[in-house]
Amino acid sequence: MIACCLFGAGPAVAGPPVERVISLNPSLTEIVVALGATESLVAVDSASQRQRAEFATLPSVGGLFDPSLEAVVSLRPDLVLLVPSVEQRDFYDRLVELGVPTVRFDNLRFEEVLDNIQVLGGLVGREAKAARRVAAIQAVRGAVEQAVSEKPRVRCLVVLQHDPIFVVGGESFLDEQVRTAGCDNLGRELGAGYPRASLEWVIAAAPEVILEASPIVQGKEAQGFWQRLPAIPAVASGRVQPIDAQVVTMPGPALDQALRLLARALHGPAIDAEIEVQLRGVGP
Amino acid sequence: MTLAVLFGLMIVSVSFGLLSGPSALAPADVVNALLDSHGVGAIHDIVLRVRLPRVALALLVGASLATSGVVFQALLHNPLADPYVLGISGGAALAGITMLTFGAAAGFGAAAVPPAAFAGSVVATLGLYAVAGVGGRVSATSLLLTGVVFNSFASAAIVFLASVSGLADGARIFLWLIGNLSSTAISASGLVAGFLALGLGVALVLARSLNLLALGDETAESLGVASERHKRWLLAATALMVGAAVSVAGLVGFVGLIVPHLLRIVIGADHRLLVPGAALAGGAFLVVCDTVARTMLGGRELPVGAVTAMVGGPLFLWLLRRSQQRVVAP
Repeated sequence: MIACCLFGAGPAVAGPPVERVISLNPSLTEIVVALGATESLVAVDSASQRQRAEFATLPSVGGLFDPSLEAVVSLRPDLVLLVPSVEQRDFYDRLVELGVPTVRFDNLRFEEVLDNIQVLGGLVGREAKAARRVAAIQAVRGAVEQAVSEKPRVRCLVVLQHDPIFVVGGESFLDEQVRTAGCDNLGRELGAGYPRASLEWVIAAAPEVILEASPIVQGKEAQGFWQRLPAIPAVASGRVQPIDAQVVTMPGPALDQALRLLARALHGPAIDAEIEVQLRGVGP
Repeated sequence: MTLAVLFGLMIVSVSFGLLSGPSALAPADVVNALLDSHGVGAIHDIVLRVRLPRVALALLVGASLATSGVVFQALLHNPLADPYVLGISGGAALAGITMLTFGAAAGFGAAAVPPAAFAGSVVATLGLYAVAGVGGRVSATSLLLTGVVFNSFASAAIVFLASVSGLADGARIFLWLIGNLSSTAISASGLVAGFLALGLGVALVLARSLNLLALGDETAESLGVASERHKRWLLAATALMVGAAVSVAGLVGFVGLIVPHLLRIVIGADHRLLVPGAALAGGAFLVVCDTVARTMLGGRELPVGAVTAMVGGPLFLWLLRRSQQRVVAP
């Protein structure tokens, strides 16, 4: 159930599409862009700016952890979009006090992300496109589930950063994605969210596949980092798989693309054809 | 005798460190792995590639910080002096975090952080001498003041860098500031060992001078100590030792402050015993703290600086209370 409050008064009510939107989170920015409503964005957060060159000329209203109240208010938005992290929760309260229309979106779980796409579609007047996007994601999810159902589960670890090691734990959309793709996510043992893991634990956990989502430069060091630990089955079998972090870790409109990437990393490129078979509804 | 006891404590702490870990290896497996350096498999990797280098690094960093704490407390005539008081750590932290924040954009990986931090500590030390030295003399007061001011500047700059960094960098900056032994390259032990040998060697050779310098510069000179020359050697060697330790482990707190005070209760104030004792006790202390940090949460890790602070803070308050009671008691 998403926390979606306009002025903190309860679930958002459909109205005319908004024309001046400020997004304070890259995942929400990506959804707006995917729905074809880019022109409604009058400002974005600095992380969104770094992600897309076309936003370089848009005003930035600060980062994920330090948004500027004055910058937001001065742009007189019709709508502000944010995710209620610790810092932005206070920011939301301040915007509401000032009477700025604001919507909060939780994006921790898979279903929450789908809800966000639909709700944003309603807010920016792109309901049909949002419905098609959600349907496409759900179709790919079903197809991946079917395609991997006959395959043995893979003991895997999703590494977000390897120095120190942060992994994907439980109770997150990323955990749901990798499990849909056929992975037994070993990080769940360490708890929810994105816990920090000790190297000793990683060795003892013996993952069969390590999905490396480290940033680009760090990714080049990642292979060297893991190669010195040949006792890990994933290393011994050459299954330390770099994955595109920007696609896979984004709780945004490309969950289907992320699922395909994960399935391919876990089961090899042949899984693409099996997913397509399932999508076309032609089973064995 | 006391040094022998401290050496024994160090051995016990190293054993504790090697035998403890989240994967609950049997002691016999650990011993077998240690005796078979060419073995393969998960147990060998855990013992020889994870625990052993980690324990060695904790030993070296702890010894460096405690030894430097002894030297600084003597030279600065200040019981609150720790390895970070002169701004050397501020310079190392600022340079290291700058590399963390901007290095990736320039194509530098995580391996560039320790050398950058060490370079920062050297620059900070040279700057310290340049500012605090007047007429060829370096006074304790001017050193302290310069160090405090520089640390404040460095802290402000670090806060700025942390504000503009991304989420991943923010976590790494935090871990660096609190002190963390988990993300260091194994080769870093060589750097720390080299400068520990230098700092320890200089401090041992000049231990008698340290006894006299602790009484004040004029007193030391009147008793034949070349105080300015010895101070410079001691400060330079110790600064390099601290710079090396901080560049690989970040700002691990309380080791350099607490261990010297605890040892004075046991050994007394003779630096000919205090210096080697601090190296042994500091190393043992950090090994134990780091072992707790990497085992108390199962497969998750705490930064070692969090444990040294949790242990060191109450210990320091107890020491302070004890010293006040001694003053009050007849």
